[in-house]
Amino acid sequence: MAAELKKELYGGGVGGEDGKLSTDPEWADVEPVVLQEPEGALAAIAYPDDYAEAMAYLRAVMQAKEHSPRCLRLTEHIIEMNPAHYTVWLYRAANVFALNLPILDEITWLNEVALQNLKNYQIWHHRHLLVENYHPLIASDPAAISAFAASERAFIAQMLSEDTKNYHVWSYRSYVVSKLGLFDDADELAAIEGLIDKDVRNNSAWSHRFFLVFSNPAYATPGAAATAYDAGVPAEVVDREIEYVTGKIRLAPQNQSGWNYLRGVMVKGGRKLASVEGFVSEFVIRLGEERSEGGKEGEGEEGEGEDVLSTHALDLLAEIYAEKGEKEKADLSLRRLGQKWDRIRVGYWEWRRKCLEVGA
Amino acid sequence: MAAAGPRTSTPQRRRPAPAISSPSSKIREIEEDEGEEETDKVVDFSHARTMAEPVIPDLFTQLPPVREGYLTDTLDVQLETARECMKFLDGLNTREPLVTRNEHGVPKLARDRHVRFLHMALGNLPGGFLVADASRPWFLYWSLSALVMLGQDVTSYRDGLIVTARSMQNDTGGFGGGGRQLSHLATTYAVVLSLALVGGGEAYDVIDRKAMWKWLNSLKQPDGGFQVCLGGEEDIRGAYCASVIITLLRLPLDLSPESPAYTGDSNANLFTGVADYVSRCQTFEGGISGQPNVEAHGAYAFCALGCLAILDHPSRSIPRYLDVPRLVSWLSSRQYAPEGGFSGRTNKLVDGCYSHWVGGCFPLIEACLNGNPPSDRHRPGDGDGGVGRVGGGGALAADGPAATATTTTTATATATTASSSGRGGRLPPAEDGLFHREGLIRYILCCCQDTTKRGGLRDKPGKGSDAYHSCYVLSGLSSAQHQWELDDEPRPPLAESPAETKDAETSKIPSDQDIDPEAHLEAVWAVLPYLDGPRVFDNDDCVRPIHPIYAIPQGSVRAIRAYFGEKGQGVVL
Repeated sequence: MAAELKKELYGGGVGGEDGKLSTDPEWADVEPVVLQEPEGALAAIAYPDDYAEAMAYLRAVMQAKEHSPRCLRLTEHIIEMNPAHYTVWLYRAANVFALNLPILDEITWLNEVALQNLKNYQIWHHRHLLVENYHPLIASDPAAISAFAASERAFIAQMLSEDTKNYHVWSYRSYVVSKLGLFDDADELAAIEGLIDKDVRNNSAWSHRFFLVFSNPAYATPGAAATAYDAGVPAEVVDREIEYVTGKIRLAPQNQSGWNYLRGVMVKGGRKLASVEGFVSEFVIRLGEERSEGGKEGEGEEGEGEDVLSTHALDLLAEIYAEKGEKEKADLSLRRLGQKWDRIRVGYWEWRRKCLEVGA
Repeated sequence: MAAAGPRTSTPQRRRPAPAISSPSSKIREIEEDEGEEETDKVVDFSHARTMAEPVIPDLFTQLPPVREGYLTDTLDVQLETARECMKFLDGLNTREPLVTRNEHGVPKLARDRHVRFLHMALGNLPGGFLVADASRPWFLYWSLSALVMLGQDVTSYRDGLIVTARSMQNDTGGFGGGGRQLSHLATTYAVVLSLALVGGGEAYDVIDRKAMWKWLNSLKQPDGGFQVCLGGEEDIRGAYCASVIITLLRLPLDLSPESPAYTGDSNANLFTGVADYVSRCQTFEGGISGQPNVEAHGAYAFCALGCLAILDHPSRSIPRYLDVPRLVSWLSSRQYAPEGGFSGRTNKLVDGCYSHWVGGCFPLIEACLNGNPPSDRHRPGDGDGGVGRVGGGGALAADGPAATATTTTTATATATTASSSGRGGRLPPAEDGLFHREGLIRYILCCCQDTTKRGGLRDKPGKGSDAYHSCYVLSGLSSAQHQWELDDEPRPPLAESPAETKDAETSKIPSDQDIDPEAHLEAVWAVLPYLDGPRVFDNDDCVRPIHPIYAIPQGSVRAIRAYFGEKGQGVVL
């Protein structure tokens, strides 16, 4: 696309020499629709003049259902001032599609806006609409899909380097994986492993991994609930995930992300929780034992009492004991959680003890 | 002693926190802990006014006993936040010399300053607020709701709100963020709740219900969810906001042929598929995501439970569509010590707003667990094809023969189906509460108040107060200070908490000729001040209760529903 043409669409701005639309010959044909707040309106905002003027012109062109390069530039102008304006974003999308603009140009423009507005909601829906429209054009071309996936992944990586747990970015990532069918894309899994290596407590990354692995349409049963057994998941996938997550738990045993993931994998795979009892027990030492009187203080001394390296391990251990019918040990685990190791959740641990009672 | 009970955070004199992680400090904690275990009964210190040093459980003055050395960004900011909060929780006045604390080391609710802050938020806003141009209705709801919880009469805002709401309404139905903005479910929800808060026929009549019904139909999607605006995203917020709007305004549930969800099926209506949509948003962690296949998040958990509690009695709808043991585990994991507050996601920081989004889930979960037995018509696996968690989830755990928090796994491991199971056991009630009320109240009063002249409530120390946090922190405080019980059958309203004011408008009793198919919505939420645990706040620091689903006072819910009930359902068509 010629640079001049692009300027007509992107970064060209609006307004005459003084920056005002009212002095811009390009806008001379438009009668702005000025809105007056009613007398006594609550939480009325004293809009700066440039914003109020731009909004008045926006109302006029929206009312006229105009779709044109100048409208696109007007939306850019307003989005710069107020990126949270959902009406403007949807109108912008309507312009992009009505003018049949190259989607990738719009995405390039959007990348900049996104990086400047990390917490913004609307950007992501706009991107979603763009992809919905772009995908049919490349759906039959694996190379194009692959190239697009790579560029989206690069952009997402850039966003996540600013804010590793940004909910909108991760929601969008999940959408892109589904839309472009990236479940078996080795780069996607590698990218997630990279993020987990960087911060093993990044729960967003763990959640995405779970989605990638257990919602893979190659084997996952459609509509299977996330917390339910899925007979479609191959045993070797389950084994691989258990292997992976137990390694990560060893790095940081009190990291709940790892334990939630492990439990999720066991359930998906239909495994008995007791099959990881040996591993889980590594993090719970001498449960219920008191430090003997003669025992000396200090690490690893004989006679030292109970030690818990992970409350989440003790939680899982309670479930394992219950699964094996060892109710007293399960009860002891839950009691120790409430009494000492995780007291803020004592109400929950007590409820879990009652679950043991009714479940026996 | 065998069971420490839910009040193990035994009050004791504050002592300096031990240094982190040296073996000897670990031993010292064990010794201290053993000392605590001998405390068999909870001691009520509320009258010990002579005590000079505040009584603060060490739960809130020390880092948790399990620590680890593998530092990553997440742990780094978590420790930093915990230490910062401890400075506000320790009962010492080094940080805020002007703050008076009670004998529990808890500051008073700075009611007057918060009220002033909220009145300001309803007044004229400076140009910097232009970024809120598309969310002005939220400011109305947040501020009015917070004022009401603080015991203020907001009827003086009625006229102003009426003209403001009118200016935001579109002829095609719904309310936008401002004049000539697209109608949006979130802003419509906020306007409707605001009108309900100021109350009165003139306020209710602002709403064009016929256009609203048409507009909601245009947002309803074939998969059961709702778009938040025409052409906008679909998420669980949309479903919650739509459910609230439909039931408060008593709109017909009929699906119009113009709706994208219309298939010609005469049984389908606006609520069809909503619960399935909610169900698809539960994640492997047990929490709820904004859309299927994303991370579990506290705000969406509340939206999910709100939807289900609107669709049917929570004791039926929640176990039917969600894995309850997993959900409760995840919700409870949101509360951290020493902070006492809730986080929104696993390994994220506490934030005062989750006092509502997560804290507000507990009354609904309690209604689910404590409610009357689910009726047989809602048994899982009764042939409605894959709905709910048949074959390995919450419905199973709630109804199966070995209903413990572990049945999910044991049963799924053997791939049994729920439908074949008898009803030998179910999840036990949650009589003693599933979260640490004292912890949450301490977090709110110690860490979430802006104690400068500015007033208002906030995310955490170091953050500025705003209307959003003021509303949701107070909602959380309200939910921690009260307990709710939901009757199974409709009956005349009980007296509400003493803090609840009564006027003619709010004490209307719903009509007996109620033809609303959602009859359970007439069931009464009985509310009482929570009295069982240690009470660390003063009587005059109590805030008013709000409806566990609609997040406005129960009287306001009743009044607007009664108003539109009298008008007669279906009249709009």
